[in-house]
Amino acid sequence: MASTNCWRCLSRPSTTLTHPSLLTLSRPSFSTSAILAAAVKKPTLAARSKGQKTLKIKKKAVVKTGKPPAAGERKAMRKRIVLSNTNALEVEGMQDLDEQMVEKLVRKKEEDLSVSFALEAAGEMEAEVVGKVVGLKGETVDSLRAVEAFKTTQGWGLFRRPGLLLREESRELSRRMVGAARGREELRLVIDGEKGSGKSLMLLHAMATAFVKGWVVLNIPEAQEVTNAMNDYAPIQGTTPTLWSQPTYTANWLGQIGKANNAVLQDLQLSMEHNLPIPIQSNISLARLCELGARDPDVAWPIFLAFWAEITARGRPPVLMCLDSLSHVLQNSLYRAPDYSQIHAHDLAIIRHFVDHLSGKAKLPNGGAVIAATSRSHAPISKSLELVIANAEEKAAHAKYMEQFTARQAQHKANYAAYLERFPAMKAERDAEIARWQQQLAIEEAELAARTAPRQFLDKKALKAMAPKPLLKPAPYAPLQQEELQLTPRDPFEKAYDARADKVLENVDVLSLKGISRAEARALMEYWAQSGVLRQRVDEESVAEKWALAGNGIVGEIQRGALWMRI
Amino acid sequence: MKKVAWLPASLRGGLQCAQYSQTTASSNFPRRTVFTLPKKQFSTSSSLQESIAAAPIRFTNNNAKEGEEEEDPVFNARLVPNSASYFTAQPIFTDDLLSLQNLLQRYANLPVLKPGEAPRVAWLSLADYRNIVGETVKAAKYSKIVEILHRLNHIHPSLMPREVKDVLNEYKRDVNPYQNTAKPGLVNTDGHALGAGRRKSSTARAWVVDGTGEVLVNGKTLIEAFGRIHDRESVIWALKATNRVDKYNVWARVSGGGTTGQAEALTLAVGKALLAHEPALKPALRRAGCMTRDPKRVERKKPGHVKARKMPAWVKR
Repeated sequence: MASTNCWRCLSRPSTTLTHPSLLTLSRPSFSTSAILAAAVKKPTLAARSKGQKTLKIKKKAVVKTGKPPAAGERKAMRKRIVLSNTNALEVEGMQDLDEQMVEKLVRKKEEDLSVSFALEAAGEMEAEVVGKVVGLKGETVDSLRAVEAFKTTQGWGLFRRPGLLLREESRELSRRMVGAARGREELRLVIDGEKGSGKSLMLLHAMATAFVKGWVVLNIPEAQEVTNAMNDYAPIQGTTPTLWSQPTYTANWLGQIGKANNAVLQDLQLSMEHNLPIPIQSNISLARLCELGARDPDVAWPIFLAFWAEITARGRPPVLMCLDSLSHVLQNSLYRAPDYSQIHAHDLAIIRHFVDHLSGKAKLPNGGAVIAATSRSHAPISKSLELVIANAEEKAAHAKYMEQFTARQAQHKANYAAYLERFPAMKAERDAEIARWQQQLAIEEAELAARTAPRQFLDKKALKAMAPKPLLKPAPYAPLQQEELQLTPRDPFEKAYDARADKVLENVDVLSLKGISRAEARALMEYWAQSGVLRQRVDEESVAEKWALAGNGIVGEIQRGALWMRI
Repeated sequence: MKKVAWLPASLRGGLQCAQYSQTTASSNFPRRTVFTLPKKQFSTSSSLQESIAAAPIRFTNNNAKEGEEEEDPVFNARLVPNSASYFTAQPIFTDDLLSLQNLLQRYANLPVLKPGEAPRVAWLSLADYRNIVGETVKAAKYSKIVEILHRLNHIHPSLMPREVKDVLNEYKRDVNPYQNTAKPGLVNTDGHALGAGRRKSSTARAWVVDGTGEVLVNGKTLIEAFGRIHDRESVIWALKATNRVDKYNVWARVSGGGTTGQAEALTLAVGKALLAHEPALKPALRRAGCMTRDPKRVERKKPGHVKARKMPAWVKR
């Protein structure tokens, strides 16, 4: 639910109402029910005094003490994000995620050599960054908070300041993002993984990297909030089929975008003429444009379009768009059209905007990334998404298999060559053996013939079967059988596939998150121990135990086992 | 029916002896015959040797012919008790004890094994012994017998006389529980060891291999298979209790029952498979509770009860 009030601040809200537009929505001015018209029947005295025996226990009236929570206060408590804990210890020597760190993370092994030589010359040692916990800079934290990248379930409130584990997949993601920006193309990615495997944290890592690199970041923190019909919506004039805008949500979103990317946007000025419903100056910064859009929900959508046109113009920074809980946007939304037909999520303007970029239908001319993460908690099942993910995993597994297979095939070939080389020697040896065999046979036959009684015969047939076979020519080369890639086929009887979702997911990459490695788990647990949150020795044994209990390193479960379930 | 007076077994035996005019020596009376006597000492059957307090009155049958006069057994001997311990309260027990003491005295000089090195033997329990002799033997008294048996059992096996062996065999239980040794688990050529475990109505099989601590239960990871952290800990408890979580991989199949049952069946299965790899861990695993099958099952519902124990509420009429 989008509102101009901050859900996540600690203070009690001063105003109980969120927004006038919401007020009109939540309180309709008319009523069709006849509640007031219906007179309540009082039980007649005769009915009561019939002598019916009933047990009458008077309930104690609940004594109300204190001020009841104001409207929205509980939700604010529920949704608040605490990013700091003054009781936690400061971790010594924790590096920040800055541009240098991102460069280090992205750098390839080949490049490593020259750079490490240079560093060695400068007296610095090159250290591995993967498997380390890095802190987030203050500005990055502010920006991430503004785009709602932090979630209530992630346990940020335990630590002195937010820190992020750099895992192997983060390196992979960073590399692809930086590569995409360099090549002015877009990375289109779906992040999937088990519950608690760090999908949202991977999104957060992508956003943090983008902020550090000076990208413009647009984040839809929870797709459910866009599609579950909790916001006001209106058809956009002149679109066929009709698109639906969500004015309040868009205004709020624009505000978030402006606030989060302020550092970048305040230096960028309008460069085009826009046909907007409100007059604006031609030389304002993009940050100011976002502010204008956030102020008035009615013009939020046109201003967003203008903003988008501006940041995708020539010479602007790369853009990162993120969305969490992808499966909510791969089905009908809960909104209804005036004829009560369901509105598909892709007909909501914001979602359409995201999905067009995810599918590659719309391009990011300055490069960038469009990343969506799936969710495993309370998310609807999307058969289309499941199929795409299954196929992607099969392809990845097959690629891995092929890598091994090529190595095995090469080994096999080499073995055959060695066999060919050895063959003449083997043949000579076998011939000698046959000769020996025949000699022995002759001796035995002679012995039998010399014996008189009882007469015995050699079983010629059995002997022939037992005789060594001559080697004539080398066996022909038989290559190893290769397993074909077998993709899970589309179920022809399944009705739950969504045709529009299928189209969107046609060409996206999938990043499957698995459990973290033992070394990464150890780094994480050491960080917890240094923060004073985990009061337990961190050694191979304890790490192995937590790692195994967490289903082979599912990071959320490690945290649950080590931090939440302390005894 | 003739009138019969009843005597205790040993006295009856004595009478028998007297009748057959055999000499009764208290030192070497047939001991074990006592054991083979029927447990029921008093019966109404008239086929038993009839015994008497006084000599039966013999009425002369005047009507009968002289040739038909029946030959009645003549009791000339005075009643002699079978054993010298007839007048102790537990004569058979006393005889047993005396004979064992005799035996020990005779073979006291034979070389013995070091304490604890003799083969473990389960002697007859007190209840069994009481049943056999039919006397009320006190536990403390029976322990004297057991003490002697224990000492006799320590005679070096190569020099143990036949007589002692026979006596010991008579006091041994039919089934020696100490001979029942568990079959050691096997590690196959691929390094897999299979263990099986049960709990409630769950059955589990676990294959344990050298590895890095990966666990798959029915093809699922631990968190997919078990939602509760407690259950997950149960599964790898055998490894955790012996500090071997990162040394082995587990691949398990489990079926039947609920989550707790499955998890704890896996505890046993993993423990037993681990034992095949490292038999020396048995005491540690036993202390950790990974060796003993919990025999508790759901108690059956009874007629007249609402559940196993619950009774319907009392209602006035």
